[in-house]
Amino acid sequence: MMIPEDLRYTAEHEWVREEGGKVRVGITDFAQDALGDIVFVQLPEIGAKVSAGDSFGEVESTKSVSEIYAPLSGQITARNEALSDSPDLINTDPYEEGWLVEIQVDDPAQLSALLDAAAYGELTKG
Amino acid sequence: MTLLMSPLHERHVALGAKFAAFGGWDMPLEYAGGGVLKEHTAVREAVGIFDVSHLGKARITGSGAAGFVNATLSNDLGRIKPGKAQYTLCCDDATGGVVDDIIAYLHSDDHVFLIPNASNTTEVVRRLREAAPEGLTITNEHADYAVLAVQGPKSADLLAALGLPTEHEYMSFETATLNGVELTVCRTGYTGEHGYELVVPSADALAVWDALFAVEGIEARACGLGARDTLRTEMGYPLHGQDLSLDITPVQARAGWAVGWSKPAFWGKDVLTKEKADGPKRTLWGLVAQDRGIPRAHMQVLAGDEVVGEITSGTFSPTRKVGIALALLDASAGLTEGSTVEVDVRGRRAAMTVTKPPFVTPSVK
Repeated sequence: MMIPEDLRYTAEHEWVREEGGKVRVGITDFAQDALGDIVFVQLPEIGAKVSAGDSFGEVESTKSVSEIYAPLSGQITARNEALSDSPDLINTDPYEEGWLVEIQVDDPAQLSALLDAAAYGELTKG
Repeated sequence: MTLLMSPLHERHVALGAKFAAFGGWDMPLEYAGGGVLKEHTAVREAVGIFDVSHLGKARITGSGAAGFVNATLSNDLGRIKPGKAQYTLCCDDATGGVVDDIIAYLHSDDHVFLIPNASNTTEVVRRLREAAPEGLTITNEHADYAVLAVQGPKSADLLAALGLPTEHEYMSFETATLNGVELTVCRTGYTGEHGYELVVPSADALAVWDALFAVEGIEARACGLGARDTLRTEMGYPLHGQDLSLDITPVQARAGWAVGWSKPAFWGKDVLTKEKADGPKRTLWGLVAQDRGIPRAHMQVLAGDEVVGEITSGTFSPTRKVGIALALLDASAGLTEGSTVEVDVRGRRAAMTVTKPPFVTPSVK
């Protein structure tokens, strides 16, 4: 299971990559593997306000559906429109091509409260 | 509860399968490097091999075995000759609800082999034994045989390459030998594709599995029960425990074609004949999503603000790339082919069109 060192993680299996005040968010390799083939993705509109810990979308596979939770509070600035036609990008490339949304974070200090790769790795061993 | 394991379990582990419990058996759901979509497509376009050893096996032997089965299970065995198989139902005599749906293999007047569902085998055997006259033997052979389903347009080529019979007609079976192993080759399946189900003594299952994957020039894909479910749902084939159950009669589930109505007796005849004449209070229909949204079992179906039914099976159709479902709809709602209903998908209303399954044209013959 791939867990890149340079990302931050949530216990709900989202990853977060900081890019100058904004963060890019996706679901982890562990999460996509557990879900199986992803066939639909529902994402919030650009401009939507999200609060840390709240559900803001869904990722649905052939066999189940999983909610996506905002890792940080802020405003949606971009969403991965490619997922509309190719939701399988989440399965094939969860950390790059399969990203979900970008969030302009209200308080960048929140980021340090998220899990690092080692801590997330421990969590997925459970 | 300890889950039972297929004799092929070690092969599934080696192939990186994810496992799930099916009727008390620990069976492969999907394989590493595969997944439901790839495995589904392999069966629609080439050939896939499923381990369905969890399916039950029971044998009825003795003078008048076929007559006894015909007087209890729903379908008319008189419609088929020895060497043919038939889809039939074990109904509750009092309610007409479905105890199980079963494939019955007619060997002779004195020998019938049954393949019930994993979780219902014990109950079907119990009911048959309770009713059986002196002289009949009913054995539960659940773990004695493995069942390998070889399904897809290239399934005949694959079996032919191993010297197995392939030309027999749909719903018939032949015995054959493969490397000294005696097995039964049935022209049956649960995918809607041309295919075979091999009934193999458990001790020989590994050898037969390996032989199927060793055929050169035809790449067979190991397929899990996840793909089996999307394949059967596209055909509108019912799954017992969802679309058929003790609470759902064959009249409601549109399985009346598997009932020998003119037979003198079968379990549930009186109550089902009455229900058929009166018209069922609900009927099984297909639903196709008009946009995104995947219907799932137990979701409510609405017409306006009124609940008019419930989804019994629902999934994403890999072939049509849309949500599909089987749903029991109230007769009083007056819905018919082409009607639009809404499904409550986690609090959102998703519009779906009422249709008659199958959702994808079968090519079993």
